[in-house]
Amino acid sequence: MALLAVRNLTKRFDGLTANSDINLEIPEGSLFAVIGPNGAGKTTFFNMVSGFLAPTTGTIEFDGEDITNLRQDKIAAKGLVRTFQLVQLFKGMTVAENVEVGFHLATKGGVAAALSRLSWFRRQEADVHAKARELLAFVGLAGKAEQDAELLPYGQQRLLEVARALAAKPRLLLLDEPAAGLNTHETDALAGVIQELNRRGTTVLLIEHDMALVTRIAQRIAVLDFGCKITEGTPDEIKRHPDVIAAYLGTEEAAHA
Amino acid sequence: MRSNRIMTLRASTFTKLGSYGYFTVGGAIFIALLFAFVFIRGGYLLTVMQLAMIYGVFCVGLNFFMGYTGQASFGQNAFATIGGYGTAILCVQYGWEPALALIASMAIAGIASVVVGYPTLRLRGHYLAMATFALGLITYDISVQWTSLTQGYMGYAGIPPLGIGPFTVEDERMKLVCLMVLLLIGLWISGRLRNSRFGRALRAISTSEPGAAALGIRIPQYKLAAFVIAALYASAAGSLFAHVVGFISPEVFGLQMVVVTFTMLYVGGIGTVLGPAIGAVIASLLPEIVRSTGRFQDILYALVLLVLLIYVPKGLSALSSIGRPRPVEPSTGN
Amino acid sequence: MPSMVELVQSLVNGVGIGLVYGLIAIGFCVIYNASGIVNFAQGVFVMLGGMFTHTMLVRLGWPIAVSALVSIVLVAGVGVLVQIFIIRPMWRRKAPLFAIILATLAVQLLIEQIVILTMGDQPRTYPDFTLGGPLKLGPIAISYQLFWILGCGALMVLLLTLFFNYTRAGRALRACSQNREAAALLGIPVNAMLMLSFALSAALGAAAGILITPTQYTAYSVDGPFGTNGFIAAIIGGFGSAPAALIGGVLLGVVQSGAIVVVGAGYKNVVALTILLIVLLFFPQGVFHGRGKRA
Repeated sequence: MALLAVRNLTKRFDGLTANSDINLEIPEGSLFAVIGPNGAGKTTFFNMVSGFLAPTTGTIEFDGEDITNLRQDKIAAKGLVRTFQLVQLFKGMTVAENVEVGFHLATKGGVAAALSRLSWFRRQEADVHAKARELLAFVGLAGKAEQDAELLPYGQQRLLEVARALAAKPRLLLLDEPAAGLNTHETDALAGVIQELNRRGTTVLLIEHDMALVTRIAQRIAVLDFGCKITEGTPDEIKRHPDVIAAYLGTEEAAHA
Repeated sequence: MRSNRIMTLRASTFTKLGSYGYFTVGGAIFIALLFAFVFIRGGYLLTVMQLAMIYGVFCVGLNFFMGYTGQASFGQNAFATIGGYGTAILCVQYGWEPALALIASMAIAGIASVVVGYPTLRLRGHYLAMATFALGLITYDISVQWTSLTQGYMGYAGIPPLGIGPFTVEDERMKLVCLMVLLLIGLWISGRLRNSRFGRALRAISTSEPGAAALGIRIPQYKLAAFVIAALYASAAGSLFAHVVGFISPEVFGLQMVVVTFTMLYVGGIGTVLGPAIGAVIASLLPEIVRSTGRFQDILYALVLLVLLIYVPKGLSALSSIGRPRPVEPSTGN
Repeated sequence: MPSMVELVQSLVNGVGIGLVYGLIAIGFCVIYNASGIVNFAQGVFVMLGGMFTHTMLVRLGWPIAVSALVSIVLVAGVGVLVQIFIIRPMWRRKAPLFAIILATLAVQLLIEQIVILTMGDQPRTYPDFTLGGPLKLGPIAISYQLFWILGCGALMVLLLTLFFNYTRAGRALRACSQNREAAALLGIPVNAMLMLSFALSAALGAAAGILITPTQYTAYSVDGPFGTNGFIAAIIGGFGSAPAALIGGVLLGVVQSGAIVVVGAGYKNVVALTILLIVLLFFPQGVFHGRGKRA
């Protein structure tokens, strides 16, 4: 059963076609990767799926429901949560508070609840407080809960974003270049986290450049180039596919030209 | 024994200090001492403190929108105008009880802020700043022009002091205490809301709207909520001014108010709980200090403000974070 | 209901004041496009233009042309001083947006107070540049000053266009507006360009103030309304080209004049501000979709 179904998705910007007629199905429970050279249209694709950009044509279905023109927060409420290529940390808040924000969808209560602090609200706040620290432990940031989020080293900021996204209990987690700027050690930690949360039932769709990471953890890979999906398959199939090699490395003729 | 108690007190104060910052704690102590001094001394200083409390209420509200939610509104004085004139007209022309009139004016301001905020808050940056600025200019002009209702330039006099039923607050010291209590209530609400799901959502919006939206926070609704809260506080401040001073005019809620309240917020620290109150008191004292220069006082005030803005652009409270560790810039992508 | 004559007359008056708003609006655009800052103190230049010219004309007895030119140069100097001593240091210290806006408001207050102290708080005026009755087209009166406004306005727009298109400095300024970093990399002295933008903007504001004073008055307090109306005109025009700003100003002036006839002079600012709100909400990029940067 496809959790996410993208059909004929196209995005044109005044003469530049960023995404052209993309068809993709992400099965529930899978760890799916979208790769492609720079400028292939991967982030545009992500932005459309998560509601940050309106498609020119095409449809996006999440769990059978059409989400094509929904606002970002409504899409998140349905269970599709994303992270960002340029980390969107909440500065001025601590590491733990950042994750606590992630629990927004799973909790209730506005001004009235915050002022009256009835017992259900207090329990919920304590719950959020505890669960945030659990998530931080899961991604390996246990000791940093009370630190200012902006003081974290870059690699840990990315892990924080993942923890925060997880707080929103996503059915489908979209990771936008999560390994960008990480060293090997940090990438390993990240890979472990992604695989574990996939094992626990979260479907993962990630955009990545790091071929080693992708071939190691992804179950299925789609390749974009010049806005089109050129092929899809298992990591082994992709590694050997001539079009993929050509897209990344160029063809024989171009190499000798 | 006694020395043990003092030691334990010191220890717990110190851990609290960590999360509140020297500026906030120092500021709070300073205000408490000042309050005691003014209370004992009496006289003209009482009025200054009273106004400081009123501005404090206004600024705590403004802080909701500008501090917690990170949006700029240069027109909150519009809601203070509604509060001030609303309560004045209800009391003087229709004989309402002052406390009820204050609440009713808040309700009117609240409704107005929803009606105005809904379309306006779709704007950002300079456009939002200008649109909100326009609100203040509009209410100023209306309060000048609608003379049958507001008495125009002449101002509205004879406003009864705050009270309900047989209780009225007429003694100057009682007024100060009353205002202090109201400010403390306002601060308590502010702190309560800040450290809750609601407050966290607002603070998330102020630093990263995409991040907040991606986590399911409905940004338009939350911005509107912050705007309305700020308007309610502003209206309350306007009404309090009317009852405490007994006289209002369009000038009271004009451009000067915008500049003064922004100064207070900026001096005290945006986004903290106590900051606006501290800023209100300090900035209320500043004109008193330059008052002795006579004709030059307004110039000096503007000059001091400019110097502060240039050399400490992130506000005086930022000075207290000198020596704290600096955030690390990411190595790629920026 | 006002008569046809009154309406047409208001249209005519509106064009005059509208052109002046347009000139102020161009000033806003120049600074905004070059630096990304909205100079909330723009109205101050308008006020100073009128005040300086009055002093020279009436107190010192200089001829109008000399007074006007000297005033423009002086006010341009004030603009440069504001840029050097206030805007630039704040920019370098990465001051938050609202702090810069607050600073421009404080500058407005400061200059207003200095003017009160040195020149008094009484409103004053001086006569039309060409004395004599208004030109009568049937029942419609067109004051000679209106022709001066039209003429000088057109001249200034022409000079600006020539400047931006055919001089090195003008083209450098345009480059700065489009991409400051690239301009700096190309060796364009960005700081000098920013100073130039403030000088130009101040000169335009001063000229606007000098032209409009004969039709009403000048005083320390006119900076607020002029600045606001100029900003509204800039927003209607979309922060893009000079012609768009002028048209925005004329539209505003005409509607405002018409409103005065219909609802009375007191509410003219309310009308202008309501127009502002409507434009901001429904035409966020200006009625003319200017190519200026979005805030």
